[in-house]
Amino acid sequence: MHWSEPRNFKEWARRAIALRPLVLVLLIFAVLISELRFDWLEQALGSYLVTTNTERPESGAIWEIGHRTLTARQTLEQLVTDRQSSQREARGATTFTQIASNLPPGQGVMLSSEHFRELYLTLPQTMAHMIVSPFELLRLFSNGGWVRTYLENEDYGFKIYLLNSENRVLRELRIPSDLLYQIERLEIALEGSLEDLPTFENRIYPADRFFRAMESLPEEDIRSVISQPERLLGVPGRIVRVGISDEAASGYIELGFEIDDGTRRRVILLRAREWAVWSLRSFLEEKGQGLHQSSRSQGNEP
Amino acid sequence: MTLALVSIAAFMSIGMFFLAVQDLPRVPDPLSRIIETPPTEIYAATGERLMVIGGREAIPLSKVSTHFIQAVLASEDHRFWEHHGVDKLRTLKALWVTLFEPGRIEGASTITQQLSKNLFFSFRRSYMRKFRELLVAFQIESRYGKPEILEAYINQIPMGVGAHGIEQASRTFFGKPALELTLAESALLAGLPKSPTRYNPYLHYDRAKERQRVVLSRMVAVGYITRVQADSASRDEFNLKPPFSGTRTRSYFLDMVVRSLEERYGPEVVYHGGLKVTTTLDPQLQTWAVKSLREGLARLEKMLGVSGQDDHGRSGEVIRPQGALVAIETNSGAVKVMVGGRNYIETEYNRAVQNNRLPGSGFKPFLYYTAFEKLGMNPATVFFDRPVTIPVVGAEDWTPRNFGLKHEGPIILKRALVRSVNSVAAQLVERTGPEQVIRTARRCGIKSTLEPVYSLALGTSGVSPLEMASAFATFANGGIRHEPFWIWRVEDALGRVLEEHIVGGERSLDASIVYQVVDLMRGVVDEGTGAVIRRLGFDLPAAGKTGTTDGYYDAWFTGFTPTLSTSLWVGYDQGEGLHDIQGLGITGGRGAAPVWADFMVKATQGEPPREFAIPADIRFETADPITGRAATESTPNPMRVALRKGQSLRRDSMEHEIPYDPETEASQLEP
Repeated sequence: MHWSEPRNFKEWARRAIALRPLVLVLLIFAVLISELRFDWLEQALGSYLVTTNTERPESGAIWEIGHRTLTARQTLEQLVTDRQSSQREARGATTFTQIASNLPPGQGVMLSSEHFRELYLTLPQTMAHMIVSPFELLRLFSNGGWVRTYLENEDYGFKIYLLNSENRVLRELRIPSDLLYQIERLEIALEGSLEDLPTFENRIYPADRFFRAMESLPEEDIRSVISQPERLLGVPGRIVRVGISDEAASGYIELGFEIDDGTRRRVILLRAREWAVWSLRSFLEEKGQGLHQSSRSQGNEP
Repeated sequence: MTLALVSIAAFMSIGMFFLAVQDLPRVPDPLSRIIETPPTEIYAATGERLMVIGGREAIPLSKVSTHFIQAVLASEDHRFWEHHGVDKLRTLKALWVTLFEPGRIEGASTITQQLSKNLFFSFRRSYMRKFRELLVAFQIESRYGKPEILEAYINQIPMGVGAHGIEQASRTFFGKPALELTLAESALLAGLPKSPTRYNPYLHYDRAKERQRVVLSRMVAVGYITRVQADSASRDEFNLKPPFSGTRTRSYFLDMVVRSLEERYGPEVVYHGGLKVTTTLDPQLQTWAVKSLREGLARLEKMLGVSGQDDHGRSGEVIRPQGALVAIETNSGAVKVMVGGRNYIETEYNRAVQNNRLPGSGFKPFLYYTAFEKLGMNPATVFFDRPVTIPVVGAEDWTPRNFGLKHEGPIILKRALVRSVNSVAAQLVERTGPEQVIRTARRCGIKSTLEPVYSLALGTSGVSPLEMASAFATFANGGIRHEPFWIWRVEDALGRVLEEHIVGGERSLDASIVYQVVDLMRGVVDEGTGAVIRRLGFDLPAAGKTGTTDGYYDAWFTGFTPTLSTSLWVGYDQGEGLHDIQGLGITGGRGAAPVWADFMVKATQGEPPREFAIPADIRFETADPITGRAATESTPNPMRVALRKGQSLRRDSMEHEIPYDPETEASQLEP
């Protein structure tokens, strides 16, 4: 069928008013009116989009906020988890070295004053005195102001803040890294001689006398005096003198082994069972000699 | 042919549809799921909530005032319950207006379209963006019920001043939950989404009121309320909550807190993580500080002859002097107050922290401390106040001048500081060396760059009021330095502690020498350049130092009681000195000290007088302020001086006095 251009207006009108165009126009109107009335186009498009929703990207302002919120929550969760984990480990720690090994540099943990006191009591007395005097702790503990302790792992060791309830520092303490290292290795070697440590000044014995007295003890008592002799054997140098501390704590007495390696003198501290040390002292004193021999020349004699 | 045209149109529409659908965003299910983010809340030290950052909390429609729901429907989309995402009649009308009425643009977005736009699309205008927005609106309408759509809309709608959603807006503007909104309040809030900035009631109250009337008229037209109710509501005045408690900082202090949090945790955690932050701010002191500074600046403007008009009588851009105030708790370093300028809305530049202005004589206490510590001098050491010229290697000689260009001759150091004598300060710094003074300033906590030049002693290196308040707090605290801080504690949304500040001081200065300097500074307040403080009624034990720079560009007063150290600066932001109507320069004692006094009177009201702690080796003697010898009954204006163990007043007789000779090099008489 060929289409030809209408030649005049009459032809235009005739064609326009013909049945087919009129039906078409009416159809279009019907569609438009039904759409206005029933919103079927919107509903159809909307329903189609609902079916494709899960395949579309999570883009746009609200999703970005959602993603940022998620990232923020994850970051915070990580921060809190790290902190809580350090805190949990610190709460379960029984020594300073355990805390030090679990605490990343630059981070800190909060302990109760009671827990700090327990950790402090695990230290050999001489070491404990080097950190803070027990009388100072006693004073702080008894006046009720000291409620918490904050331990911070810094480059040079531990920084310890004894805090009151308002987080104000009552006393600031430090445990240098070398001291921590020594505690960690359970080999407390202090530079100098026994005379430098006031707790031993009343009971210093030449090494040969000390070990002779040890030989008089039953095997069980010997192990209670020096539970790990291999630690002493592992130290380069020769034991020249041994000191027994004046103070006992929690059933233990501290022993100081003065070691001469030819260039310097050092003191290694070990803890011994109190009852075993008493037995040992009775043998040392029975010999009637050795008491109060505190001069270095005597100590040097074989 | 018609059929062909219709077909082409249909094909084009389908093509456009699939093109638009390609990267259409996914709609969350349920619709409110990702609207909920925990807010970061910032609290004052007193527990008052200062600010909420981010955080969107969805509330059900049942918790929203019916007035608001009706108001928002009437003003935004009154056929909401009838259409399916698009209001076709309104769209046609808007199209007609836009095409045939030049200059007028009429919007026709339904609530669903607005929700679609707010949730997913940028505000960039384009036909494709509009089409996509429409498609998402269709999807939302197909998937969710009308109440759910309306609920999502009212929970995310931006209402200005950082508030999103009706609950947040209601609490921000009226301090009450959305359920309790009255008709008048509802109409005001419903008018905001059209342009939250333009109709911000804090900034444009009249516009907001006008918009409220439009909303009320729409409610009448739709039939929700009667004309009588509308008229009654439009007559109601709003009881707006003070803008300080908002969702944006609008405060120099909170700006600093937010910046610190961003540095420590990152912006995402701060804005979306939901932190609970307890700061050091004392809101009552802050209110007083803002008031004191505003009133002080108003008085200063009067002195300066600054009016609301420029030199040609025109209103508008008049440059006004600015000010900054910082107050720090001396025994902890907690920043209790921070005002960084006259009005945060006008300028967010924080002069309390970011401004490095020359402190002038306010720097002298560091010099005097250095002289006492390094040279063993004491407050009764005698110097000659005389014209001095100090040779500088590789530069011009330095010739400092006294304020007023007068010289007093022999003078003890206490009087020299009390009267802020520059020639004596110059002689002191020549002996100590500027490096030693810098070291002292650093020990006190000054962190700004300090030039090692002689003029440093007269405050020629810039510092901030925060630094000055903190450094002087070290003096107030007997030489124990506390780092200034503004955050006590940070927790997450569940209350788990992320950090807490530990107040640990560090002894940085000798307590006895500090006391000597504090005693000199007490003289400044009691009888020296800061004596206006006593005249204005501040009678607690206090010490401080005024500061004024050449050309009167800066006027300072930094002073402290044993508990609070406050630094105050006033001046123009750029290139203009402070001169009164007579052309006289305005000093720190005249421009800054009165504001300091006004604030401190309020800040310390009810506090019992508390003396500065006197170290055991300090004793007091009364000296002749000219000779430095023990004062007798006939000595005019004797001065009490604090001496350390081993220090004493001069005992040589007057006959052996070296006569004052400006030419002589022997300008100091050692005690």
